[in-house]
Amino acid sequence: MRRYLNFTCSTVFLLVLYLPGQAMAENITGTVKVKGLRSPGNILIYIVKAPSVHLDLSKTKFIMDQQNLTFIPHILPVPVGATVHFPNNDKVDHNIFSLSRTNKFNLGSYKPSESKTVRFDKPGIVEVRCDVHAEMAAYIMVLKNPYFAVTDDQGRFEIPDSKHLEQNGIKEIKNLPPGKYVLKTWHEKLKTQKQIVVVSGNEDVSVQINLNRGTPSVLYK
Amino acid sequence: MKKISLLIGFFLILEVFAVLSFEKPGSALARLRSTRDRTIRGRVISEYGPVENARVRVAGTEPFVLTDRQGNFELSTKSLAGEKFWVTAGKEGWFNNAQVAPPSGRMNDIFLYSIYLNDRPDYRFISPVTCSRCHVKLTRYWDKSKMAHTTSNPKILDMYYGRDALQNKNVAPGYRLDNPDSEGNCVVCHAPSVAASRSWTKDLETALWSARTEWDGISCDYCHKVRNVISDKTRPSGKKPVLERQTAAKGSSIMVFGPYDDVVVPPMGASYSSIYDKGRFCSTCHGHFKQLEKGKTWDHTKVYSASEWKGFGLKEDAILPIQTTYREWEHWQNQLSPKDPNKGKKCQDCHMSWRKEMLPYDNYVVDDNARDMWGTYRSPKNIRPHHFDGGTKIQLKTALSMELEGKINGNKLEAHVYITNTNGGHWVPTGETMRSVMLVIDAVDSNGKPLKMIKGERLPEWTGKGKVEAGNYAGLPGSIFARVLKDDNGNLNVPFWRATAIAADTRIRPKTTVTLSYEFALKDPEDEPTVEAKLIYRPVIRPLAERKSWAVDDILITSNVW
Repeated sequence: MRRYLNFTCSTVFLLVLYLPGQAMAENITGTVKVKGLRSPGNILIYIVKAPSVHLDLSKTKFIMDQQNLTFIPHILPVPVGATVHFPNNDKVDHNIFSLSRTNKFNLGSYKPSESKTVRFDKPGIVEVRCDVHAEMAAYIMVLKNPYFAVTDDQGRFEIPDSKHLEQNGIKEIKNLPPGKYVLKTWHEKLKTQKQIVVVSGNEDVSVQINLNRGTPSVLYK
Repeated sequence: MKKISLLIGFFLILEVFAVLSFEKPGSALARLRSTRDRTIRGRVISEYGPVENARVRVAGTEPFVLTDRQGNFELSTKSLAGEKFWVTAGKEGWFNNAQVAPPSGRMNDIFLYSIYLNDRPDYRFISPVTCSRCHVKLTRYWDKSKMAHTTSNPKILDMYYGRDALQNKNVAPGYRLDNPDSEGNCVVCHAPSVAASRSWTKDLETALWSARTEWDGISCDYCHKVRNVISDKTRPSGKKPVLERQTAAKGSSIMVFGPYDDVVVPPMGASYSSIYDKGRFCSTCHGHFKQLEKGKTWDHTKVYSASEWKGFGLKEDAILPIQTTYREWEHWQNQLSPKDPNKGKKCQDCHMSWRKEMLPYDNYVVDDNARDMWGTYRSPKNIRPHHFDGGTKIQLKTALSMELEGKINGNKLEAHVYITNTNGGHWVPTGETMRSVMLVIDAVDSNGKPLKMIKGERLPEWTGKGKVEAGNYAGLPGSIFARVLKDDNGNLNVPFWRATAIAADTRIRPKTTVTLSYEFALKDPEDEPTVEAKLIYRPVIRPLAERKSWAVDDILITSNVW
């Protein structure tokens, strides 16, 4: 009998732990499939309009790294008001700049192991370039709310992307309240797609998106 | 048996000693050991006495010092205990030289030999094959570039002789068709090693087959024989390279000029020249100015602003600027304030920079055996891969960027396009006037039906008449960016030798944004229309490419959808 008691107790305990989590989880998860590209990674998925969330950006550290003539990551979504660090971890000098209308800046030429920062206050796409290395390009997506994600190598994503946000210093982002949302995609070589997602409030929402090669559209029309 | 093993052991020990004593500076083993600060004092002298303002450094390192009036220098560096290394000295007009800095005690004087001026036009330029024996990778990058094939480029030969791609004769335009008695001066830049030789041909094909053309274009030895670049109004670009062709003063090594003051190796008599790190070096060919016939002038005020005209370095109305790449860059640089981050950016920074396909970074400019014997370990920052990219997909994608904004205003759809010359230090497109960049706009309603444009520019006829799918855009909403030459009869896009005026120059100036607006009629204001803008680079304008049967592919620079 005692044996069973032990088992029941632990089961009940586990259930107690598990159920509230279940009830609160209304993440949007999904996978993206692409045609005409090698990998379904590096695609931005974002919710166009969401209830406003107060974000504490004082402890955030978004990083756009430079190694071997490449910006890492290729697409960096940040909330409005975020500051991005641009460390040079390469062996040659780089001169990072952008002439995008969202945020124009020019950091000048700087040496390996140095770093500079830029604050992004306006939502939109910022195309980041290096003055001397023609192939170097990256995109900083300044978004109106923290409900965004970038797909991994397998094309998977989760909104909100708490792992990415926590890594960069934003904690405890609440899940989306129940409602109807418009989800959009962005990748520089893929046609933008819109999808309507209904969040009911008691279970995860799973989304499947199929993308084709083409030209992306602006973030907010 | 015992004796043999003893002998082997002896040789093994000897080898270990040999390896240790010939350990190269900067080798992995050396870098593992700890370093200490050290001050090196020495003197740079010549047969005329001490040499002032010579650049002295530890070979391969970045910091350098200049010698004082007595030729003395003091160099602080970090070195390993007991390490020997080369201290080099170089100055314009002198061959570089070096001395070993011993671990202790004062080093011997560095003796510089002067370059006496004795240019010999009968000099035979050496083949790039010779250079490639040591500079394997650098020559490979160069060989893939357009630089290496300026004489044999079929388009140039077709334009010169008036032929087409199928070798049909009398296909205009052709320089020799219009000027049967003149060979022109194409060789000055297209086959410079021939043009620089005494009394040689000016005909391109003869130049191509002549023994004087090294490879089929601009070769290593030609460029690295340039001591300076000076003004010369008789040349098409207005600039002239000053060559110094001779063997080294001492020994039989190849005399070369270059940007390094720390190259001291037996096969080359290397001499430092600051011109290799300046945009002015490129000015020898990247400009083309045409003197109009006597008494003729053209009105430039409608095409260029006063400051732009001044930037081209032109005062007279009798000169037609055909190609102005160097002057465009120079004018842009002169306008910048000293604090501007773009100040000081030069041609070499973008057209001779590292590319991903070349990675991992290299620390030497020589390869294989030469690297083991004479290689100088240096930072990749200090190495310029000679790829000379320009007008290629990689370079173009970064040169221009575009943004698109739409707005629905009642029954009207407004589209605003912002095109920025993001990375070009010169106007885009630049160089040859047959190049153009086109903006093509396509506005459709939610059913995919094209919308009617009510306000805005349309693409001109010479963007091609016919099917849109085949790249013919004439009449479509959009805009063209090009320098358009015209002749006295009002014909547009004429070759430079027929041109008497410039009809328009809409090319995009460095780091500036051009804003273009278009309006489309919208039947239903509630409809959700889409606007697509494409920015396309066309190396040769359609009518010319068709006449010459040239296969030229457009390059899509960027596209945008609203």
